[in-house]
Amino acid sequence: MTTGELDPLIHVPTRLKIVATLAALPDGDTLSFTRLQDMIGLTPGNLIIHLRKLENADYISSKKTSNGTVSITTVALTGYGRAALDSYTQALRDLLGGL
Amino acid sequence: MNPRPDTTAAGNGGNFDPRQAAALLDQTTQQARRQLEPAQPWLLVIRAVVALAIFGAVWLNTRGQHPYQHPTAAIIPVVITFGLLNLIATVTVARRATAGLSGKSRLRPAEIAVLAAIWIGVYAAMVPMAGAGVSDSVVYDLYPVTVPLIAAGLAWAGITAVRADWRGCGVGLAVAVTGAVALSAGPAGAWAVAGVGLCLTLLGHAAVIVWQQRRSVVRR
Repeated sequence: MTTGELDPLIHVPTRLKIVATLAALPDGDTLSFTRLQDMIGLTPGNLIIHLRKLENADYISSKKTSNGTVSITTVALTGYGRAALDSYTQALRDLLGGL
Repeated sequence: MNPRPDTTAAGNGGNFDPRQAAALLDQTTQQARRQLEPAQPWLLVIRAVVALAIFGAVWLNTRGQHPYQHPTAAIIPVVITFGLLNLIATVTVARRATAGLSGKSRLRPAEIAVLAAIWIGVYAAMVPMAGAGVSDSVVYDLYPVTVPLIAAGLAWAGITAVRADWRGCGVGLAVAVTGAVALSAGPAGAWAVAGVGLCLTLLGHAAVIVWQQRRSVVRR
């Protein structure tokens, strides 16, 4: 097995951190954009770019809600994204076992 | 300063070593689990020690009484203060951990209402019990130490079971069992059993959380 078989969308440090953080939530729970940003330690612009790539692949879902003057964006790992992370983790195990 | 992977250099993952990826995956997962955990192990350990000390002090205060009377008045404010500080610390830490989080990790208003109603109902029941002539040692000592543990423990176990939170369910059942065993230990012994039972439950809960947080997602 080679590193080329690791999901290229997840096999990037920042996106791996995003996906791993969201996977720590119970299934169905969502995290606000600001809390995720705080936990990952990224600038808003950088985080948006990576979230967009993950959302385009249906790995995460985002929802924007407005409460009068304040709008809150929440993100969550989709079932597809969780399965992708599981496959990625299994691929890492196989790869590290073979190294 | 903690070494942080260069996200720009490895933007496409080309130079991202699988060993580094495995370490980052474990590190991020463990960090997220710690930050999102509403029950912090350090707080549970403090609560365990304080519960043992307070309940143990009351037991030492009452165990030599023949016939049984009551704990000395001086210890009652200490028990109430412990209860209030425990509540404040638990709520503060849980609110900080669940900030920005929505979904089943947070208690729903209906669940909070059920828990509050049970607490109020359990203590309100002392009034008709006293009126019905039940002995003081039961109404003012055995009952308020044990029955709230049974009622709250079972309620918590039920709420967490519905959420498939088996760790929370286990904690609720352990608290209820503590209350049930304390009920059979008599007015003075109830304090000792409740103190030891709560201490063991809280320490066990802290140990399970630490184990869950440190568990590797890559290594099996």
